[in-house]
Amino acid sequence: MEFLGNIGLGFSVALSFTNIFYCFLGALLGTLVGVIPGLGVLAAISMLFPLTFHLEPTTALIMLAGIWYGTTYGGSTASILLNLPGTPANAVTCLDGFPMARQGRGGVALFMTTVASFFGASFGIILLTLFTPVIAEYALRFGSAEYFALMLMGLVAASTISEGSAIKGLAMMVLGIIIGLVGMDSQTATARFTFGSLGLLEGVSLIALAMGVFGVAEIIMSVRRVKATDIDPDSVRLKAIKPTRDDVRRSWMPMLRGSTMGSFFGTLPGTGPSIAAFLSYAVEKRLSKTPERFGKGAIEGIMAPEAANNSADQTAFIPTLSLGVPGSATMALMLGALMIHGIAPGPTLISDEPELFWGLIMSFWVGNVILLILNIPLIGVWVRMLTIPYNLLYPSVLMFICIGAYTASFSPLNVWMVFAFGALGYAMRIFRFPGAPLLLGFVLGPLMEEHFRRAMLLGRGDFMTFFDRPISAVIMALTGLILLWSVWGSEGVRQRRTDRASSARADQDPTKKSI
Amino acid sequence: MKKFITAAVAALGFALPAMAADYPSGPVTIVIPYSPSGNTDVFARHLAPYLEEKWGQAVVVDNKPGGGSMIGTAYVSQAKPDGQTLLMTSSAFVTAPAIQKELPFDSRTDLVPIVNVGHVSFVLIVNGESPYQTLEEFVAASKESPKFAATAGLGTTTHFAMEKFIVDSGADVEVVHFKGGGPAVVSILSNETDIYGSSISSAGKNIEAGKVRPLMVLGNERIDVIPDVPSAGELGYPDLEIKQWLGVFAPKGTDPEILAKINADVNEALANQEFIDTVTPLDWTLNGGTSEAFVTQVDEELTKWQALADAAGIKK
Repeated sequence: MEFLGNIGLGFSVALSFTNIFYCFLGALLGTLVGVIPGLGVLAAISMLFPLTFHLEPTTALIMLAGIWYGTTYGGSTASILLNLPGTPANAVTCLDGFPMARQGRGGVALFMTTVASFFGASFGIILLTLFTPVIAEYALRFGSAEYFALMLMGLVAASTISEGSAIKGLAMMVLGIIIGLVGMDSQTATARFTFGSLGLLEGVSLIALAMGVFGVAEIIMSVRRVKATDIDPDSVRLKAIKPTRDDVRRSWMPMLRGSTMGSFFGTLPGTGPSIAAFLSYAVEKRLSKTPERFGKGAIEGIMAPEAANNSADQTAFIPTLSLGVPGSATMALMLGALMIHGIAPGPTLISDEPELFWGLIMSFWVGNVILLILNIPLIGVWVRMLTIPYNLLYPSVLMFICIGAYTASFSPLNVWMVFAFGALGYAMRIFRFPGAPLLLGFVLGPLMEEHFRRAMLLGRGDFMTFFDRPISAVIMALTGLILLWSVWGSEGVRQRRTDRASSARADQDPTKKSI
Repeated sequence: MKKFITAAVAALGFALPAMAADYPSGPVTIVIPYSPSGNTDVFARHLAPYLEEKWGQAVVVDNKPGGGSMIGTAYVSQAKPDGQTLLMTSSAFVTAPAIQKELPFDSRTDLVPIVNVGHVSFVLIVNGESPYQTLEEFVAASKESPKFAATAGLGTTTHFAMEKFIVDSGADVEVVHFKGGGPAVVSILSNETDIYGSSISSAGKNIEAGKVRPLMVLGNERIDVIPDVPSAGELGYPDLEIKQWLGVFAPKGTDPEILAKINADVNEALANQEFIDTVTPLDWTLNGGTSEAFVTQVDEELTKWQALADAAGIKK
């Protein structure tokens, strides 16, 4: 009964006119910021932060939260249409979303990712409503050893993320790790690969890397293409957003798995939506009976990560609100918005400020419904972007990339890095090196290192620390199983692939025209 | 010749006061070497309107983050010394030089401290279910079996606080670095580490809920919000006076009269009740005071942290 009372209280707060208005404002701004490549949620929230000084704390938080999950909704748009991640969490959506758009299925991709986003967010909100205190307690059981084991499992599971040459994939992953290591070593303050530059001490930003390797490289590649009209005009009509029955059938399980993984990673401070998206993509590919479709427009490859990043967005509020511990810089900002009003989040927040807590959570429903209503009609508008001639579209996109890269950390160095990575990405395209393992290595490598070294320090140098702690031991055992499975299974996969080769060739024909 | 000297003296005598009286002659930029909305940034953005009103000029808060605050600091050290570009930075100004060797400026000479605007206090916390009720018990227990101290990152104020605590108390404790204060508090909640010098704002609710237990304030006075927690001075650690402060600096060579004017005007803003009411919920204790006092403080701290970094073998 108390539970229903809480939900009622929450809705009574969330459905007040002011709160609906600010929720709408947040969601709208979030969508726009998400759609514009590179302009991240942190920059958007930072800019609007002073506005919250003058709002009620609940209203302020509702608006900021709207921006936060709105960007992830909108972020898939640029990933799919332009191969430019709207936010880091949407970077992995480029891998299959962009090929879908090139096949004239951009509308379907946008529609389905909206569905996946809503599904993932709903999943996260339900968990948030039912289990916040319980989850907060369990998240505390994850120490450095567990984080390391999780990252290792992710890396092993993802080792087949790329197509083609295994050596090239591995080389790119190592390069990603090296780029990830740029900056100040967190345990000894040694500067690594910074070449004396103070700016590089902060490390390379994921958004600069992703925009360069995917976006700028794409733009350079397209210089040789002159017109956009090789896109089938039918594919930009609103009716073209209707998924096929096959799309729907393929989407259910990835959405469910993505939401589960996303919710899990969202609750762990320091991981969050980007990692959830990357790993759920890797898992889908590993579980797929047809992994060769990934990277060529497989719908599973956009559904899982989009469900994952949106559910992680929601569950990220669990540690923030119930432990008072922000999982990311953006969450720290939200805590800041509360503290400015004299409210310190922590274990007593739910009982001290029930209106704020339940009002905020119920506003997530309001916000997600608003986003759904907002996004579906917009698909028609976004898809039309593809009919803009490249010579007009891409210069403006490049401008947005520069703005985005600059505002990511208010540093001009980032803009140069985007172009350096653009050149790298172009070279990678020419020599057929895959981009996905580079990003994965970049995201997971430094985290693994950080947690590994901290775990070893805390374990007083004993490797057994990874096996003595029960949760860590279970994850390590699972990692071992995945490794065995891939060695043992690779023969079978090779067999299956040759079987499918002929049918796949037949499948490709109808799409060839639009490529 | 005589005429010329008279003219020169007159001109000089005229020019100097005019410069200070005219100050500021255009928009003033306060450079914040941190990202928007960090606590330094928020403080500066709250302070700016008061100075704007006083000076009748726009006061722009400009974020130049990076290099652990060193990029923005280096930027101001090279700015024109006319008082139109100021720096508001944290005690990273005195701690970072102790671990970062190749800075493009000299923290002792290239910037002039104007005023210490405020500080955040730290408190040593342990897990709420740990057996240690007093700091003495903790120190004694660490000698039986060694303990771990969390920090918010290498070279942060919390890192120096923990190193200083280890040196002064003789506790057998090893520091482990986390990325930020949040994860460090989590490591105390989850028993991954044993002790952490947390800012009051990060620890606040968890202290109230009994999830963490405060053992000692890192300073020589008790704090209002946790009146029962002893100060470092009371427990016999008078040197554990460690605060994260915030101060205003100008490039070297700035006219002393302009510096004096900025000092006076900032002090006036700090005394404004409306301003006090906005920033105290953010756990700031406002300081103010003369620039001489701040110059001495910065100088002493630079020496103190360098000595600690050398003694504790913190790598450079």
